Amino acid sequence: MGKTIKVTIDGKECVSEYGKSILEVARANGVYIPTMCYLTKTLPIASCRMCVVAVEGVDGLILSCQEKATDGAVINTQNEQLHKERTNIMKLYNVNHPLECGVCDKSGECELQNKTMEYGLTNQNFTTKDIYRPVQKWGSVSYDPALCIMCERCVKVSTEITGDEALQVKFGGYNSTIINVKQDKNYKSLGEAAAVCPVGALVDTNFKYSANAWELKQIPSSCPHCGGGHDVIYEVKDDEIYRVSNHAEFSTLCPSSRYGFDFQNRGVTKDIGAFNGAVEAFKNAKSIIFSNEISNEEALILQKLKEKNGYKLISPQAKAYQDFIASYSSITGKSLFSGSVDEIKSSRAVLVVGSRINDDAPIIKYAINTASKHNRSRVIYMHPIEDKNISNIVTQFIKYEPSSEEMVLALLVDTLLRDKKLPDNITALIKSFDIGNLSAESNVSEEELEALSKSLINKNGLSLVVGADLYSHPRAKNIAKMVGLIDKYSDFSVVVVPPTGNAMGIAQICELDDKIEGKSIGINAKGDFTLSAMGEGDLDLPSLNQQEGTLVGFNKRVVPLNVVLPYGGYTLNDISNELGLNVKYTIDYTQILPVSNGFKEIEFDDLEDYFDNSGNEFRGYLLDSVDVEIDENIEEPFESDGIDGAVIYNCNPAEHTSQFTNKSKLLKSDAYLVGSKQFGQVSKLNDGDMVNFTIGDVKFQRVFKIDTSLKGIIALNPTYDRGLSEALLSSYRYIRLEIEKV
Amino acid sequence: MSDVIFSTWRGEFIDNRDKSSDDEMSKSGFKLPQDYTADVNSKAFIGWDGVAIFNEDVDAVRLATEYAAQYQIYSEACGRCAPGRWGGKILYDLLDKIARGEGSYDDVAHLKEVSETMMSTSKCEIGKTVPKPILDLMNHFEAQFNKVIDEQIPSHHYNDDIKYIAKVTAPCTDMCPAHVDIPAYIEGVRDMQFADSLVATRETMPLAHTCGRVCPHPCEDACRRTNLDEPISIMELKRLGADYESDHGLLWQHPREPKPLRNDGKKVAVIGAGPAGLTTAYYLALEGIKVDIFEELPVNGGEVAVGVPQYRMPIEKYQKDIDLVLEMEAVTIHNNHRVDAKRLKEIDAEYDATMLGFGARLSKKVRAKNERADINGYWGAIDMLDKVNLWTKYGIGSTASNELKDKTVVCVGGGFTSMDVVRCAVRDGAKKVIMLYRRDEKTIIRNTTYEEYHEAVEEGVEFIFHSAVEEIFDEDNKLVKLLVNKFELVPDPNGGRAQLVKIEDGDFEIDCDFLIPAVSQAADLQLLPEEWDIKLTSWNTLLTNGKDYMTNRDGLFATGDCEYGPMTIVNAVGQAKRAASVISRYIYTGKVSLTDDEIMEDHLTKLKVYDKNEKITGWIPGIPREVSQKLETNERVDNNKEVNLGFTGQEAQDEANRCMRCYYISMVAV
Repeated sequence: MGKTIKVTIDGKECVSEYGKSILEVARANGVYIPTMCYLTKTLPIASCRMCVVAVEGVDGLILSCQEKATDGAVINTQNEQLHKERTNIMKLYNVNHPLECGVCDKSGECELQNKTMEYGLTNQNFTTKDIYRPVQKWGSVSYDPALCIMCERCVKVSTEITGDEALQVKFGGYNSTIINVKQDKNYKSLGEAAAVCPVGALVDTNFKYSANAWELKQIPSSCPHCGGGHDVIYEVKDDEIYRVSNHAEFSTLCPSSRYGFDFQNRGVTKDIGAFNGAVEAFKNAKSIIFSNEISNEEALILQKLKEKNGYKLISPQAKAYQDFIASYSSITGKSLFSGSVDEIKSSRAVLVVGSRINDDAPIIKYAINTASKHNRSRVIYMHPIEDKNISNIVTQFIKYEPSSEEMVLALLVDTLLRDKKLPDNITALIKSFDIGNLSAESNVSEEELEALSKSLINKNGLSLVVGADLYSHPRAKNIAKMVGLIDKYSDFSVVVVPPTGNAMGIAQICELDDKIEGKSIGINAKGDFTLSAMGEGDLDLPSLNQQEGTLVGFNKRVVPLNVVLPYGGYTLNDISNELGLNVKYTIDYTQILPVSNGFKEIEFDDLEDYFDNSGNEFRGYLLDSVDVEIDENIEEPFESDGIDGAVIYNCNPAEHTSQFTNKSKLLKSDAYLVGSKQFGQVSKLNDGDMVNFTIGDVKFQRVFKIDTSLKGIIALNPTYDRGLSEALLSSYRYIRLEIEKV
Repeated sequence: MSDVIFSTWRGEFIDNRDKSSDDEMSKSGFKLPQDYTADVNSKAFIGWDGVAIFNEDVDAVRLATEYAAQYQIYSEACGRCAPGRWGGKILYDLLDKIARGEGSYDDVAHLKEVSETMMSTSKCEIGKTVPKPILDLMNHFEAQFNKVIDEQIPSHHYNDDIKYIAKVTAPCTDMCPAHVDIPAYIEGVRDMQFADSLVATRETMPLAHTCGRVCPHPCEDACRRTNLDEPISIMELKRLGADYESDHGLLWQHPREPKPLRNDGKKVAVIGAGPAGLTTAYYLALEGIKVDIFEELPVNGGEVAVGVPQYRMPIEKYQKDIDLVLEMEAVTIHNNHRVDAKRLKEIDAEYDATMLGFGARLSKKVRAKNERADINGYWGAIDMLDKVNLWTKYGIGSTASNELKDKTVVCVGGGFTSMDVVRCAVRDGAKKVIMLYRRDEKTIIRNTTYEEYHEAVEEGVEFIFHSAVEEIFDEDNKLVKLLVNKFELVPDPNGGRAQLVKIEDGDFEIDCDFLIPAVSQAADLQLLPEEWDIKLTSWNTLLTNGKDYMTNRDGLFATGDCEYGPMTIVNAVGQAKRAASVISRYIYTGKVSLTDDEIMEDHLTKLKVYDKNEKITGWIPGIPREVSQKLETNERVDNNKEVNLGFTGQEAQDEANRCMRCYYISMVAV
C-alpha cells in the first residue's frame, strides 16, 4: 500500500492510503454506498454499476468499487442524478425477475428484495420476451438461472477463493448465465459460491424449501473440524440446525464446516449411574486418551487433572504436532510458526511439502489459490502423489518417494540456503550433505531443484507450507529442525499446518505423553472407560456445538465456541469437579489458559466476535508467539529404506476430518480405498474388490475403487469412518501393507 | 473530406437536407467510408461518435434499429454489466417495435431514459456510446419516427433488402498492426481467466509470449487512457495469458478448434520461419490448409530468435510461440532449406500460393571512409547477433566473448538492433561499449523505449550523441580506431526542423577493436528470379498494395520486413494474418479479395478511431501506470537472465482496472 491520502466523502474527511478504492475508504469510514455485486474478499467485480459516485472536477460518474481514491478527491455518494441512475439500474435488475418471493429461498435475506424496497420500486417498468431457463442441480448446490442477476460473485469465489474453477459466465447478453464446467466433480466448495449469492439463484440443495430465513436463529461459533477456527454461524430452528452460514463477504468456510454441522450428541440426559462410573474410572485410570475434538478448556481440565493425579495424556496427532513444533522452535526461537494464512494469500511463491493440501486443509489450499490468482504466485507442490485437483494452481509438481521426507528437506535446505550467510556449523552441515545420494534416494532430481530455485525470482513473499506427513515421520524432529533452518535463514515464512480439530490448541495446553500406562479413559477415543460426544461411549459428553469454550485455529487465533443446541448430560467439568478441581463453569478456564504459551487472560464473555465494515476480523484474540530456547544441533539426514511396492496413504477427502464429520447427515458416506489402475494391478485388485488390512491396532475392511485421475502405486485410505478408533491413527501416513483380498 | 447529406460525426454538425445546390452543401472534415468499395457506395455510416448519411433516402428509424441490433449481438458476447445486459435488450426491443409500426410515444420516452442510464453507468464505452447516434437520429429525423408512430406503419425501408455491415473495434485495437482484441485480453487478466485472455490474443496474434515482451506497442499511443493520465501498459498485460499456459502446462489454447487437414491437394509454401511466416502458417493451419515452411537456418523463429537477445526474449518462451505453430497438424517445417531463385521457381510451380517472409537481414553500412566488410573488427550487427544468439540460446557455434572479452566495442545505431548489440557486448565481457548516434537522447528513446535506453545506460554503455563515424582506420587490416565527427542541432530560424550541423574542430578519435554497424537492414533479394520482374518499393522491398499483400506476380505474397522494410514483429504479424486470410480464398478462387470485416478494418483505420482531443468522462484521473519489476543491474549485467520480471498479479490487476474498455461499434448501410 502506498502513501497516505486524504479524501472527502459526503463532507466527511477521510484518511486512507493510496491503493484503496473509493468504496473501501467509504466503508472504512462508515459511509454507505449501495452495491449489488461487490464482495470484500475478492477483487471488484464491477458488474452492477450501483456504486457509481460523483467526484468534484471529474466529468461523468465514477465507479467507486474499482477506482482508487486519489489524494484530495472530493466525493459525493448521494445526489439526485446518482439516485436516478441507481433506481434505473434496479429497474433493469427487475426486468422479468420472477415475483414469487413467497416461495423463494432467499426471501427475507435477498439483496434484490432489499434494494427494490430501498429504491421504492413498486412495479416492473420494463419487460422483455423471456426464454426457458431450467433449474440445475449441481450436487450440494442448485442453480436457478431465472433468478440469477449475473452479478458474477459466485464465479469470482470459484476462481479467486476456492479455486475449484467450476463456475464460469456463459456470455449471452440478456441470455447470459452461470455454467458449471465441472459437473462431473460437483465439488463441495461450490457451497462457498452459493454463500455469496445475493438472490435465490445459487442455493444449498439441502436447505431449499426447508425454512424461511427469518425463522432461523443465528448462533455464531467457530469451525470445530478443519483446524482453521474460522467463523461459522449455525442457523437453528426448534433445536435443529438447518444450515451453516458465515460472514461470506469476508470469510470462507471449509467444506466440513459448511456441511458437517449436525454432529451434536442428541437426546442425552443425566445418567447418574454412568457418571459415577466415570468418576470411579478416572480414579482408577493412569492414562487419558483423547481425540482432537475437544475445546481448549477441556484440554486445560485434562492438564489440570494430570497435574493433580499424574495421568498420562495421550493424544497422538497433537503430540506429534507438539513435538514437531518444539523442534522447529528450537531453531527459530519462537513458540509459533512464522507464517500465516494471510501471508500465504499475498505470497509470490508457495512451496508445499508433506501434505495433500487440498484434502488436508482446504482453507490453506484456498489461500494458495488466492496467491496464485492475485499474485501469479509460483506454487511448488512436493508430494509423493500428484493431485490433479490442484493442477490449475500448481506451477511445479515435484514427486518424491514416500518416507524420504527428511532427505527432501535436506535438499531444500541445500537449495534454499546455499547462497545465504550462515553460521559455520550450518554451513558445515549443508556441506556434509551428499546431494547426489539424497537426490537419488528421494527421487527429486537436481534439475527439478534448479528449476525450483530459478522460479523464486522474487525474494519477498515466499511461503513454505508443511503438513502432517512430516509430523508422524520417524525422523520428525530432525525434519522440523530443517524446516526451522529454512524459516530462520531463508526468506521463507513457514506455516506448519496443524492436524484437524483442536490439535493446535491441545498442543499449546497439554503436556502430552507417548505411551499409555495402566487403565485408560478415552475421550472421543476408545479407552477402558469411554466418554464420547459421538454418543457411543460409557458416558456422554457434549459435542463442540453444544458447549461454550475456545479453540485455536491455524491463523493462530483463539476463537469462541457457543452453545448451538442444548445438552442435557454431564460435562468433563462435572467430572473434574468431582475429582477436586472445583471450577464452576467450563468457561471459567478460558481466562486461565497458559499465558506462558501465548494465551491471554481474557474472560470468555469478553471475547470479541465480529468483523468490521472492511472485513477485519475481531474474533477472540491472536495467540502470542513466545521466546523459546535455541538448540541448533541438527543431524545429517538418515537414509531411509523407502517403501517398496503398493503403499497406502491415510488421507481423508476435503470434506471429512473425523468421525464427527461422518456423523453429519450431509457428509455421511461410505469410505473406500481409492487407488490408480496401476495400484490395482500391483495389488491384484479390481474395482469393487473387498480388502482387509490393519494399521496399528485398527482393522480396516474396505471396498477398493479405481480413480482414473490418480497415478502411481499409492492408494488413498480415509480414516473418518473409524469411529472412536480413528483418534488412535497417528502412525506415519504412508504404510506398506499386506492387503488381504476378501 | 467527405460528401455527406447529414453528419454529427465527432462533434461536427452538417445538415445538407434542404440545401438546393452542391455549392451550398457543407462537406464533412472526416474520411468517412462514403464509398464502401470501389464498386459499392455507402448509404450511411453510424458509430460511436455520431452518424453520417450519404443518401437522401435513408430510413433513419431502421438505421437506428439495426444499430441497436448490432449492439445486442455484441452484448450477447458480453453482458457483463446490468445496464448493458438489460439496457441493450430493451433498446433494441423498443426501437424495433417503433420501426415495425407498433410503437408509441411512451416507448420513445422509455428509450431516452434507458439510453441515459446506459450512457452514464455502462461498463464499456460501447454501452456508453451506442445510444448517442441513436439519440441523434431520434432528434434530427424526428419526423420519420413520428410518422411511423402516428400512422402505426413500418418505416419506409423496413422490409427492404439493405445490407448492414458492422464492426466492433477499439482505439488500441485499431492502432495495433495485428488488430489484437486488446480490451478482451485485458478483461481476461482482470477476471483472472488467463486462458481466456490468451485466446483473445491468439485470435489475431499467435506470438503472445513474444509480443507480451518485446513489442514496441504502437497501441499504447492510441490508448484513450492517455487523455486522462497515462496509457495502459498494454503490452505487458499480454504476457500473463501466455505465461499461464506455459506455467500450468495447458494444452494449446487455440482461438478455435483447428479444422481438420483438408486433403484437397491445396497447399501453401512459406519462405522463412520468422514472425511473418509463422503467423501465415498458423492462420492457414487453423483453417486446415496445408502449409510447408522453408527455413534456411537450423533453428526457427527468424530474427526474433537469432536477433533479439535472450535477456529480452527468452528462447524457452519464444519457443512456445513457435511450437504452437509448428505442432499444428497442417504445418510442416523444412529446416536448413535455403531457397534461391531456382528453388523459388520450383516452389512457385508446385504450390497454390507462396508467401515470402524472409525478412531483412543485410546490415547496411554506416558510410564511412575505408568501410570494408573484410576489415578484421568490422562486424555487421545481424552477423554479430546471430553468433551471440545461436550460442546463448542453442549452443551452436562458439561464444562471442571469445571475440569481445576485454575489447572496446563501438556500435553505430539508435534503434532496437543497436541496443541489442551494445547490451550483448556488455554481457560478453567487452571492456568498453560505446554507442554512436547521430541525433539526441530524446530521439533514441522515441525510436526504442525508455526502459531499453535506461537499462543500457545502467549496464555501462556509453552513449555519444550527435556523432557519426567519418573514417575507419586499420593496421594490417585489423581495425584500430575511428575518426568521429561531432554535430550540433541548429534551430531553423524560420521555425522548421532543427538541422544537424557538423562542429568544426569537433572531431575526435576512438581507439577500438570492433565497429558494429547497426544503422538499418536491407532485404536480401537474391532469391527473386529476374524474369519474374517483381516490383519493388523505393526502399528495395517487395511492393504490394498493403491490403492483400500480393506482389505483382499472381500467387506470390510478401509480408514482414521483406515487404515493409525493417519494422516490428507486430507489423509482420498483422500483415501475415491478413495475407493468410486472402490466401485462404485465393487458392480456391484464384482471386484476391477482402472480407467485409477486413474492409471495415481498413475504413476505420483511415477514419482514425483514436481521438486524442476527446475529453474522458466517468474515470478518475491521476492513477499512474503500473511498472513491472526489473532485475537490478548487478543481477543482470553478466548473464542472460530475463531482465523484465513482468507484473505481479496485483500490479496486473491494478493495471487491468485502469483499462476503460473503449469498445466501439460502427456500421455501414450499403
